[in-house]
Amino acid sequence: MLNAARGMNSLMVPKHTPCSENQEKFVELEAMDSESLLVDWLSELAYWAEIEMLVFHKFKIEGVSSTHLRAIMYGTRVAQLEKHIKAVTYHNLQIVQTENGLTATVVFDV
Amino acid sequence: MVNIHDFNQIEEYVYEIPASFREDMRVPARFYADAVLLEGIKNDRSLEQLVNTATLPGAVKYALAMPDIHQGYGFPIGGVVATELPDGVISPGGVGYDINCGVRLLATRLEQEEINPYLDILASSIYANCPSGVGQGGHVKLKSGELDRLLELGSTWALKRGFATEADLERTEENGCLEGADAGKVSPRAKDRGKGQVGTLGAGNHFIEIDVVDRVLDETAAGRMGLFENQIVVQIHCGSRGLGHQVCSDYVKRFQKSIHRYGLNLPDRELVCAPLSSPEGRDYLAAMKGAANYAFANRQVLAGHIRHSFEQTLAGKVRHHQLYQIYDIAHNMAKVETHIVDGRQLKLCVHRKGATRAFGPGSRELPAAYRAIGQPVLVPGSMGTESWVLVGTQNSMTQTFGSTCHGAGRSMSRKKAKKSVNGAGLRDQLESRGIHVRAGSMSGLAEEAPAAYKDVNRVVDVVHGAGIARKVARLTPVAVIKG
Repeated sequence: MLNAARGMNSLMVPKHTPCSENQEKFVELEAMDSESLLVDWLSELAYWAEIEMLVFHKFKIEGVSSTHLRAIMYGTRVAQLEKHIKAVTYHNLQIVQTENGLTATVVFDV
Repeated sequence: MVNIHDFNQIEEYVYEIPASFREDMRVPARFYADAVLLEGIKNDRSLEQLVNTATLPGAVKYALAMPDIHQGYGFPIGGVVATELPDGVISPGGVGYDINCGVRLLATRLEQEEINPYLDILASSIYANCPSGVGQGGHVKLKSGELDRLLELGSTWALKRGFATEADLERTEENGCLEGADAGKVSPRAKDRGKGQVGTLGAGNHFIEIDVVDRVLDETAAGRMGLFENQIVVQIHCGSRGLGHQVCSDYVKRFQKSIHRYGLNLPDRELVCAPLSSPEGRDYLAAMKGAANYAFANRQVLAGHIRHSFEQTLAGKVRHHQLYQIYDIAHNMAKVETHIVDGRQLKLCVHRKGATRAFGPGSRELPAAYRAIGQPVLVPGSMGTESWVLVGTQNSMTQTFGSTCHGAGRSMSRKKAKKSVNGAGLRDQLESRGIHVRAGSMSGLAEEAPAAYKDVNRVVDVVHGAGIARKVARLTPVAVIKG
């Protein structure tokens, strides 16, 4: 989940954007399966980026399972977004167990 | 994977994948192409996606794809699927994330030579007056509860707020207001995303373009619309912004849970759907109509900003700076319509995702001015290339549920386009051809390079040749404004 958020941030925010944590938001998500939870999680981040230009860099996970996530997100407002992610889709959505851990494929509508 | 031996050519421009191709297909899949477009279509998964749409419960006759077909999420872009009421399904993926993405065409009485000296400043004025790009809010401040009225009234809201004329509404698909929209079915999060974006262009493939009518092919239809050669016109291409995307996301999520209840087994999660007679199906239709009305209002407010720019730049300098509306069409929509199928009159939910309604002459849904010629169809090309004005035909009513193509259709991913095209170089190239460019992002410009799209002229040749629309006039760009 954290790496997926970092991957998404790398698309939204220009490189070398200063990271501070002067804003925080609480999130609690309940989904029908782990793929849907990933979509919901990234959709949450895309929502704050669009509404308040708020990008989160640090996360305190208070509880997580394959269908549930409870976390506090810390981040900052940015002046500019490199890429506007309009939606997180189910297209080719995949979470695969590999030797190095879980690999997720997510397609964004931009 | 669909291979060349899996489909049959049944007419010059029509190919069919029989329902026997895959066990789960309920109807055959048909697509429109010529030999060159066919080669491109085979390069992505769009035909497989078309076959997937032929599995939808309630699908009638055939699942269709227009010649601008390319790979989308779940449905291919360019797809048309009609499902029979009351128990056929409605699928948010069959509409797309940008609900009622569409095109508006405004016209002046000016000829190109009259406007040439002012084009550069006019392009800058439009760029300044029409908020575009990532994170840009609109100039329209909504009072408490006003967004709900906008969702339910569409362009009628814009008329009440002074952004529209009666003539604009008359020349908009559905008069710019889908009946049955219910703001209560649109989530607070969708409203949050939409409330500050009324009258904004956004980014991606959306644009405002000043064009010149460089060729008229049907004098009668062009005359009826008020189009003539060398005339300056304006296209607006955009949709329902964040609100529409959120409505789609919300219902794709909700339908993931309900498909099991309705015993639906689908080949792709983005195809999730619900029977139109179910609470989920009815709720989505009411919310989708709200988002569609938002898009009509959005293009209407943008039209107001563009009129202001013309006034600001040209008043007192040219004879007529006024803009009047030719038509406004949706190309991402699901609509309940009545069609004759195999001699039977059926009430259908026609999904058009990257496809345009193209009703033929005599359709009572058309404004009186256009009833004799058929519905105007607006087909924007890629940036820097031609666009087309077509009209719907009787053939489109019998062959494609009154539908035709919507644009050039992508042939290259955004990522690949960005790698192979330099945005600043492209801007210089367009400027050297006399096209004024205003763009917020050079990488965004590269993503929309003409090289990333099919040849719109070829796409239009196919729909004209197949008889599912008829050519009226061709437009070439003289200024492009992008987010």
